[in-house]
Amino acid sequence: MLRYIIRRTLWSVAMLVLCSAVVFAIFYILPTADPAKLRAGRAADPEKIETIRKSLGLDDPKYQQFLRYIGGVFTPYKNEAKGVDGPLDFGTSIFQNNKPVREIILDRLPATVFLVTGAVVIWLAIAIPVGIISAVKRRSLLDRTTMITSLAFISAPVFWLGLVALYLFANDVGKLNDVPPFGIDLAIFPGIGSYNDAETFGSRAESLILPWLVLAAATAAIYARYLRSQLIDVMSEDYIRTARAKGLSEQRVIWRHGVRSAITPIITLLGLDIGVLLAGNAILTESVFNIPGIGKETVTAIGDSDLPLIQGIVLFGAFFIVIFNLIVDILYAYLDPRVRYQ
Amino acid sequence: MRLKWVRLLVPVGALLALALGLSSCGDDNGGGESPATTSVPKEFAPVTAAPDDAKTGGELKVLSAGDIDYMDPGGAYYTFTYQVTEAAHRTLLGWAPADVEKPTPDLAEAEPEISDDGRTMEFTIRDGVRFSPPVDREVTAADVKYAIERANLSGVANPYGQLYFSDIVGYDAARKAAADNPTGGAPVISGITTPDDKTLRIELNKPKVAIAQVIAQALSLPISAPVPEEYAKEFDAKNPSTYGQYVAFTGPYMVQNDCVDESGKVVNEDCSGELTGYTPGKEIKLVRNPNWDGEATGDFRPAYLDSIDIQEGFTDTASASRKILNGEDQVAGDFPPPKAVLQEAAQEGEPGQLQLPELPGYRHISMRTDKPPFDDINVRKAVIANSDREALRDTRGGPLIGSVATHYISPGFPGFEEAGGYEGPNLDFIADPNGDPELAAEYMKKAGFKSGKCEGSECEVSMVGDNIPPGKDTAEVFKSQLEDLGFKVDFRPVDHAIMYTKFCSVPAQEPDICPNVGVAPDFRDSQVLLAPSFSAESINPQNNTNWPMLDVPEVNKAIEKARLIGDPEERAKAWAEVDRLVSAQAPAVPWVWEYFPIIQSTDVAGVVNLYNASWDLAFTSLK
Repeated sequence: MLRYIIRRTLWSVAMLVLCSAVVFAIFYILPTADPAKLRAGRAADPEKIETIRKSLGLDDPKYQQFLRYIGGVFTPYKNEAKGVDGPLDFGTSIFQNNKPVREIILDRLPATVFLVTGAVVIWLAIAIPVGIISAVKRRSLLDRTTMITSLAFISAPVFWLGLVALYLFANDVGKLNDVPPFGIDLAIFPGIGSYNDAETFGSRAESLILPWLVLAAATAAIYARYLRSQLIDVMSEDYIRTARAKGLSEQRVIWRHGVRSAITPIITLLGLDIGVLLAGNAILTESVFNIPGIGKETVTAIGDSDLPLIQGIVLFGAFFIVIFNLIVDILYAYLDPRVRYQ
Repeated sequence: MRLKWVRLLVPVGALLALALGLSSCGDDNGGGESPATTSVPKEFAPVTAAPDDAKTGGELKVLSAGDIDYMDPGGAYYTFTYQVTEAAHRTLLGWAPADVEKPTPDLAEAEPEISDDGRTMEFTIRDGVRFSPPVDREVTAADVKYAIERANLSGVANPYGQLYFSDIVGYDAARKAAADNPTGGAPVISGITTPDDKTLRIELNKPKVAIAQVIAQALSLPISAPVPEEYAKEFDAKNPSTYGQYVAFTGPYMVQNDCVDESGKVVNEDCSGELTGYTPGKEIKLVRNPNWDGEATGDFRPAYLDSIDIQEGFTDTASASRKILNGEDQVAGDFPPPKAVLQEAAQEGEPGQLQLPELPGYRHISMRTDKPPFDDINVRKAVIANSDREALRDTRGGPLIGSVATHYISPGFPGFEEAGGYEGPNLDFIADPNGDPELAAEYMKKAGFKSGKCEGSECEVSMVGDNIPPGKDTAEVFKSQLEDLGFKVDFRPVDHAIMYTKFCSVPAQEPDICPNVGVAPDFRDSQVLLAPSFSAESINPQNNTNWPMLDVPEVNKAIEKARLIGDPEERAKAWAEVDRLVSAQAPAVPWVWEYFPIIQSTDVAGVVNLYNASWDLAFTSLK
């Protein structure tokens, strides 16, 4: 197993280097915005732009720029002689007070991690029981109700769901106050921007209730449907029949033999989804609720054409995806005896 | 999306550096009324003075969609940034809420003394103005000198210094030295000297009073906020400079740093000055500057508030606007309410909640005058005559976002009335704000199109505009108006910045029509409204700002004449004449003189700074 992990880790590093090259090529070789022009400001003259280009080394050959960039990202220590502040030295943001990109990303990461973690817990807590019950009670009223509901959530775009949630349930702009017949206030959840005001763990968690639910809604629905169809397939396998014939209880058959097998593709999905969300794909949820996370930062960076920051976020995202792929591969082999560490 | 209004919608280019005769006419400051020449409905007129019984204390919560551009005053250039710098820095001259044509002395004791030959100007720095912790010392003239010199460093990225200061002796040499050695410190500008601690002397290459007046106005921008060299040079030695993370302030407020707590009280003597109250994209926390003594040091800002908390990232401006209007939050920083909420605020808001300061400048739709079909003046007149400018204005929010423009000098600028005021010049093709299709057909016939509509291959025109609303909506509406006249329009929507940098400002690429261009100058002088857009001198292969490529000798001559006139009254008349000549050439469709709608909650006594068309945080108080 150790050899397997080492081999996969080396592959992951190779993937990251490849990603770096692709990202560098996209932003510095293919025609995009000019970082020197962006730094110089809107009214700067060509001379000033050239000065900045020279001072930032943007007039060096592309391969030198790439080696400098890759050196900054992967050098594991600070090397003042080479001007490298490794590891993960992605350079400096063009705006954002000239702060190092690494510092900006690390500042945004906790909010995204908190958002994603809560949402994952919620969507698994909903999807697994719903998927199992729907599969076991196939074609029942419960099955049909949950599947139709899940279809509705899958169809609802996150930004729309977020805005609707705010306009109904947020305690600042929400409309569901004094709801008849009992006059109940349902607009009780912290609204847009409340994460910024929250100072304690508890108040931050409270401010994320709506975002968690919104982010979890569509994914929970997808997972529930996916698990249902997997479990239905698995429950018709020969070994399930054998397990039943051996006299095992139905509960044990479902959980020990059915769910364990049906859930392995879900693990793959989960790993990828977590990686993608941490990489900034919670962009819509973070934007609608003004949560200062990686996704929100991505929007700002794109709006500013802040290339070093975009580049850093993309590479950081690639890191998460590669890491979670690695975790999934290891877990997959652990959960499914048919897969071996080869 | 980063929502912000930048000071210059266009790079005005070197023309500004040649702004030889900037007028400094105008009334004295003060007064709580809007300028007399305004189309702003009375109920939404901006309040420019604090109430007599303004309360002191409390924290103001400001919501913003985007962030400032640079905390370093050397690089600051966005309007939203100016909201912060105006509250946190003292520049030589500053803009009090009602100032529109002329700034008020701030760090300087008085307006500069300009020698009779216009070759030197001198500022006297006020006594007793001190830097915030950890610098804690009195400001001297050398601090202003260093602030201007460091702006030449590529690590500071000041975008406008060269435009205004190239006539200072030694400026260009210092600039070159900075370019050759970006981290070698700020090269000295030989024409800026400090005979003593309180005197800043500036020597000019050209003996012209008008040039000195331009430079004086430019010194109201954040570039003249003093910077203590002994403290900042460590940060300026890096490229980019990291001074923005350690700024020293002189205004009534400062961004909280590791020396002070949330009340502005010094809690750490052994501090570095690192800003703890600014997290880009998230928050700016302004607290009282413990070293500010406004009354004793002649600061015109009352600074009623204890602290100001700017929360950023509210890109859903509809929700954010509603939070402000219903009192959950207090004022909008950088965004106007979206159309629907704007209407709600106008109809249902309490008096004063919505205010409409006028933005300097204008929006226009340019037509390429140097190639068919718009090289024919009658075709251009037909297009203008046919354009429904109210419909164009509706794409941005209707009457609440501005008045329909009838020419180019905008309200509040010298020469506006002389150029025809709101009614505009006596030209039939611009007279009807809803368009006059019959008149348009007549002009098309004069251009040789017998049917009154454009026909043939030359009527296939290209247009490059914004790819998102409201700019895209404007472009689409104008496109349909052109199609009504028979044109076949190839509309290419692109990002706003790309529209300028790759298309409309590059004549080789320039499309026939640019529907989303505008001018918003730094100062209220008509030269900066007209010369960059319509002088042949502004036609450049890159960074072109004469989008219509207008090159008419009569116009060029009038511009040359007007820019050399120093007398305010004569100057206003001369630029009004330029305006009339340009309007008669029909190079573009001027369609809106804009307001910038801003909102506040009912518990705020907001004061508007007319120069910046935004809330003045140092004059605003809580009720």
